[in-house]
Amino acid sequence: MVAVEIARVAGLATVQDGGRPGHMHEGVPPGGALVPELLARANGAVGNPAAAAAIEVFGTLALTARGGALTLATDDGHVETLAGGNHFTLTASRGARVRYVAVRGGIDVPLFLGGRGTLLVAGVGGFRGRGLQRADVLEIGAIPSGDAVAGVHPPVDALAPIRVIVGPDDESFDDAALATLLGASFTVLAASDRTGIRLAGPSLRPRSEDDAPPAPMIRGAIQIPSSGDPIVMGPDHPTTGGYRVLATIVTADWSRFAARAIGARVRFAAMTVEAARREARREMYDDLRPV
Amino acid sequence: MKPLGDGAWRIARPEGLSAADLLARLRALPRVQDVVVTENFACVYFNPAAPPNDLAEALTRPSSGSAVALPQTLTLRARYDGPDLVDVGERLALSTEEVVRRHVERTYVVQAMGFLPGFAYLGPLDDKLALPRRASPRARVTRGAIGIAAGYTAVYPYASAGGWHLIATAVDFRAFSMEDGALLHVGDRVQFVRMG
Repeated sequence: MVAVEIARVAGLATVQDGGRPGHMHEGVPPGGALVPELLARANGAVGNPAAAAAIEVFGTLALTARGGALTLATDDGHVETLAGGNHFTLTASRGARVRYVAVRGGIDVPLFLGGRGTLLVAGVGGFRGRGLQRADVLEIGAIPSGDAVAGVHPPVDALAPIRVIVGPDDESFDDAALATLLGASFTVLAASDRTGIRLAGPSLRPRSEDDAPPAPMIRGAIQIPSSGDPIVMGPDHPTTGGYRVLATIVTADWSRFAARAIGARVRFAAMTVEAARREARREMYDDLRPV
Repeated sequence: MKPLGDGAWRIARPEGLSAADLLARLRALPRVQDVVVTENFACVYFNPAAPPNDLAEALTRPSSGSAVALPQTLTLRARYDGPDLVDVGERLALSTEEVVRRHVERTYVVQAMGFLPGFAYLGPLDDKLALPRRASPRARVTRGAIGIAAGYTAVYPYASAGGWHLIATAVDFRAFSMEDGALLHVGDRVQFVRMG
C-alpha cells in the first residue's frame, strides 16, 4: 500500500477536499479547501479531479513516500515523483496564506457526510478528525486520475479589490458604514482561521448593538460584531450567526480573498447579483465539487 | 427575498409554516442544494451559476406532500449538575429544584439547527426560565453541557466557546454517527430524563 508519512509539521496541516455541501440544515458547515483554486491547481498538476482530497498546510510540512513511489504536486504547479523512502518538504512561501500538496490518486481517508475534509470544531472527517502530526500515515487512494492539467485556474491575483454583494443586513447600518467598507483599506489579522477571517480597519459599527437572533450564514458573509471589526465567514463557519451581515463576498472572488496572507491589505468593491452570476457562469465551479 | 451573496437567498419566515415543513418544502425545490431555517429567516443555498426559480410557489402550495420526514421523539438523559444552575435559580428567584422541574417537564421541539454541527435549538422554553445570554461568554463549554438562553435550551455537541447558562450535562450524547448523520433534525421532539 502506497502512503505518505508525515515526517515533520509546523503549523496546522489538515486533509481537505471540495467540501461537504448539503448538510447545513444539520448545522454542518460546507467545509472545503480554504482556497479552492489552489487546491484545484495542485490536483490538476497530478491529473486528479479538482476537488480530490489533498493536504492543506499553514506553515511547513515534510513527508516521506512509503510502500513505493508516488507523484505529488504543489499549488504552484511543481510536480515531483518520490521513490519509496524519499522526502519532500513544502515550505511556507512569502505572501502565501496557505499551501496545498496533492498526491496522484488522492488522499484516502473515510468519507464523512459526503466529504473527506477535516472539520476541526467537531473532530470529524479527514485523518482522525484532527490536524496532522509527525508519524501519521495517510494512504493514497485510487481515484481515476487523468493527464496533468495546468493553468485551468489562473494564479491568484493578490492585489485587485474583492467584489461583494451588499447586504442582506445593510439597513442595520448607517450609509457611512457601507461607504467605509467600499472605500477604506483593511488588513488581514493573525486571529484568522478556517472558521472566520478577521480584518482590522476603520470601525463599521451597526446602528444598534442589540443581540440579533441567529440568522443563516454563508462562506464570504462579512459579519460586523459590536466591536466594529469585520469577521468574514470561512469554509468552517457556524451555519448560523448572531451578528449582522453588511455585505457578502462573491463566489468568483473567494479564493483571491482567502489566499491573502496575514497582514495583507484588502479593499472591497460592490457588484450586482446579476454581474456575479454572469461571472459564475464563466468559471468552472462544478469541477470543485467533492469526489 | 434578499441575496446572501451570489449563492443564497434569505427570506423572512412566512406565517403559518412550521420550521420542519418550511425546510422540507424548500429542500425539495430543483437546484436548491441546502436550506437553513432560523427563528426569523429561511435561507436557500445553490450554485451561483444556476439559481432556483422563485420560491413563492413552494411556500404557498397547500401541502408539501410526502417530502416531510416523520419527526422522531428522542429521550436524552441529563444530570442536573451545571455550573450555572444555582446562579440561574437566583436570577429567576426560583429554587434550584424548581428550575430543574420546569426544564425537565416539557417536551421540546427542534426549532432550528445551527451554531455548531448538530447543535439543536430546542423550544419553547418555560417562560419562567427566560434569560438573556451571559454577559461574557465562556471561552470553553464542555461537550454535552446543557444550556438555556433566549427562550431555548440546547446540548453543546462539541466543546466550544459559548454564552448560554449551563444547568445540566447530557449523558452519552452523540450528535452524529458515521452511518446516520445528525441525531437531531428540525421538527424532532426531545424529552430530557433526569439522572441526578
